[in-house]
Amino acid sequence: MGSSLNAGLVERGFRAARLMRSALGPFLGLLLVVVLFSVADSVRSRAVGKRPTFATAATAQKVLRDASQTGVAALGMLLIIIAGGIDLSAGAAMSLAATVTAWFFRDGYPPAVGVTAGIGTGCLAGLLNGALIGALRIVPFIITLGTMTVFTGAGLILAQDTPIRAFGKVPDWILNLQTPYPVPDGLLVSSGVWVMLALAAAVGVLLKYTVFGRHVFAVGANEAAARLCGIGVHRLRACVYTLAGFFIGVAGLFQFAILSGEGDPKAGLGKELEIIAAVVIGGGSLSGGRGSVLGTLSGACIMAAILHGCVTLDIKTAYQKVILGVIIVAAVTLDQLRRRS
Amino acid sequence: MRIAVLAAFWLAAALIASGCSESERSGATAPGAGGQKKFRIAVIPKGTTHDFWKSVHAGAQDAAAELGNIEIVWNGPDNEKDKEAQIKIVDTFVGERVDGICLAPIDRDAFVPVVKRAKQRGIPVVVFDSGLSDPSDTVSCVATDNYKGGVLAAEFLARILGQSGGVILLRYQAGSESTEQRELGFLETLARYDRIKLVSESQRVESDPIQAMKIGESLLRDQRERVAGVFTVCEPINKGMLQALENEKLAGKVRFVAFDSDPRILQGLRDRTVDGIVLQDPVRMGYLAVKTMAAHLAGQPVEKLISTGEELATFENMHEPQIRELLEPKQFQGK
Repeated sequence: MGSSLNAGLVERGFRAARLMRSALGPFLGLLLVVVLFSVADSVRSRAVGKRPTFATAATAQKVLRDASQTGVAALGMLLIIIAGGIDLSAGAAMSLAATVTAWFFRDGYPPAVGVTAGIGTGCLAGLLNGALIGALRIVPFIITLGTMTVFTGAGLILAQDTPIRAFGKVPDWILNLQTPYPVPDGLLVSSGVWVMLALAAAVGVLLKYTVFGRHVFAVGANEAAARLCGIGVHRLRACVYTLAGFFIGVAGLFQFAILSGEGDPKAGLGKELEIIAAVVIGGGSLSGGRGSVLGTLSGACIMAAILHGCVTLDIKTAYQKVILGVIIVAAVTLDQLRRRS
Repeated sequence: MRIAVLAAFWLAAALIASGCSESERSGATAPGAGGQKKFRIAVIPKGTTHDFWKSVHAGAQDAAAELGNIEIVWNGPDNEKDKEAQIKIVDTFVGERVDGICLAPIDRDAFVPVVKRAKQRGIPVVVFDSGLSDPSDTVSCVATDNYKGGVLAAEFLARILGQSGGVILLRYQAGSESTEQRELGFLETLARYDRIKLVSESQRVESDPIQAMKIGESLLRDQRERVAGVFTVCEPINKGMLQALENEKLAGKVRFVAFDSDPRILQGLRDRTVDGIVLQDPVRMGYLAVKTMAAHLAGQPVEKLISTGEELATFENMHEPQIRELLEPKQFQGK
């Protein structure tokens, strides 16, 4: 009895260690990227005779801010991907949420209304995706490919083809979500980053300690088995997409805030790939059943750090794209190798 | 059974097709207000969402209203990066046999064969806003002298910087003729000033103001000790850079010249966070593009190159009527 309890404890310890490692992989990747750029920046700065600027606290603040919009949206995408789905409409839904938010602010509604409407739009978009996938029995890739253009179109209709501008009508606490430096200084990083971290913690708890979280993993790992175990797959999926929509709505609020209050229905075009990339760099599996919160945020930060680093090093835009692609593939490859060994 | 369905399908298709061509033919030959032929002209901008194109649309509509025998069909891609989408739009209009096409090509090379295809089918093309690398198949090019606009920006920036200091140029995506000419005019002019140093020109941004802002912040941080002036070449980059300057607390301290205006940049000019705006005349551009096409269709000779003019707006001259008209050009208000 005692020995079997011990064995159980040991087994659990091993599992915890493995889990730590799998989540830490992408985080180590982020550290590696930061170290590489810091070294390169100090070498280059010495060569051209200027002060190195990469290895500073200001860079950490900026990279986290730059990553926060993608990061928050990626938390939603993480839930979807773990459940074995995908959401190609995330970028478009994010912009639609930003556009709806801007519409309410432009027309002078109180901030709470604009914010709620924007986030609500994200949830509704997610619910629509989830419901359509269940009702029409068509794979998420196709459904969300369709809703992607629907959401963009809806945004353009609402905005009458031009970005909706609400300059001067947005309270500071919303604009401060996306300032590169924290306001007030005591926050250390801008408030949007704190929102991202708080939501990340919530998702972490949800996935690890709740029945809902277990079901999400179960459906993603083996949908048929999950169904046989009595999990209501359709309802669960609708919940997952709606919840993901909440995060995408928050990301939409960030998009709205970052240019001083502008709702551009096209700003999110192509951003879904960045959002999916964050999850995948972070160890998420596109075949479902796997993914981590820390990894996902690290993935978003890796991309932001590469962009900031490349500009700091004065690397031409075309080369930046090559570097970004190579690092994404390398990060995922390393993660796979580590997992297999 | 299957054959019956197929036959019904083809029959329906044939009916629809004949119906279409019937109405098209009658549309093309119906007498206009003055009893002349009514022409359908497709006007294809680079994108449909920027304010600039809405003003071009207003100008094109003015020309059509003035001429009376012209019908404008306005259609463009909603993404200014998407040259494939724009090529398809051009080909659709070629297939529809419109009488003429006014086109603002997204790419100076990719549209040369597209324009050639149109010409082979007897459809004349006037390009506007941006030129083509080989203009031999076009009727005319109606555009701002973008090179000269870049020169204006460089001369002005050099003057307000007292002819010395570090300058950043943030470029637009490669392949767009108009913005490349602005960059070239700017760089070649700036090179004449010995004490002005170009500290960065390596970065390009696609049509994405948020990306422009992020890159702008990175550039300004890296060059904080050296940068004295900034030039950006088009609408999405302008507002991203202005936001970056504000975020880095450099707005008003670093001298900033933008090419093209929008409400945000105009406010910047009032607040003195933007020092100068190179302005085009989009209304005139749309107007002259359609007028030129109409003249060509009427068999009159037209100039191969038509400049629509460029001005520099500053805090000092922004209230002059001629500048004010360009700062807030009218926009198409239909649909």
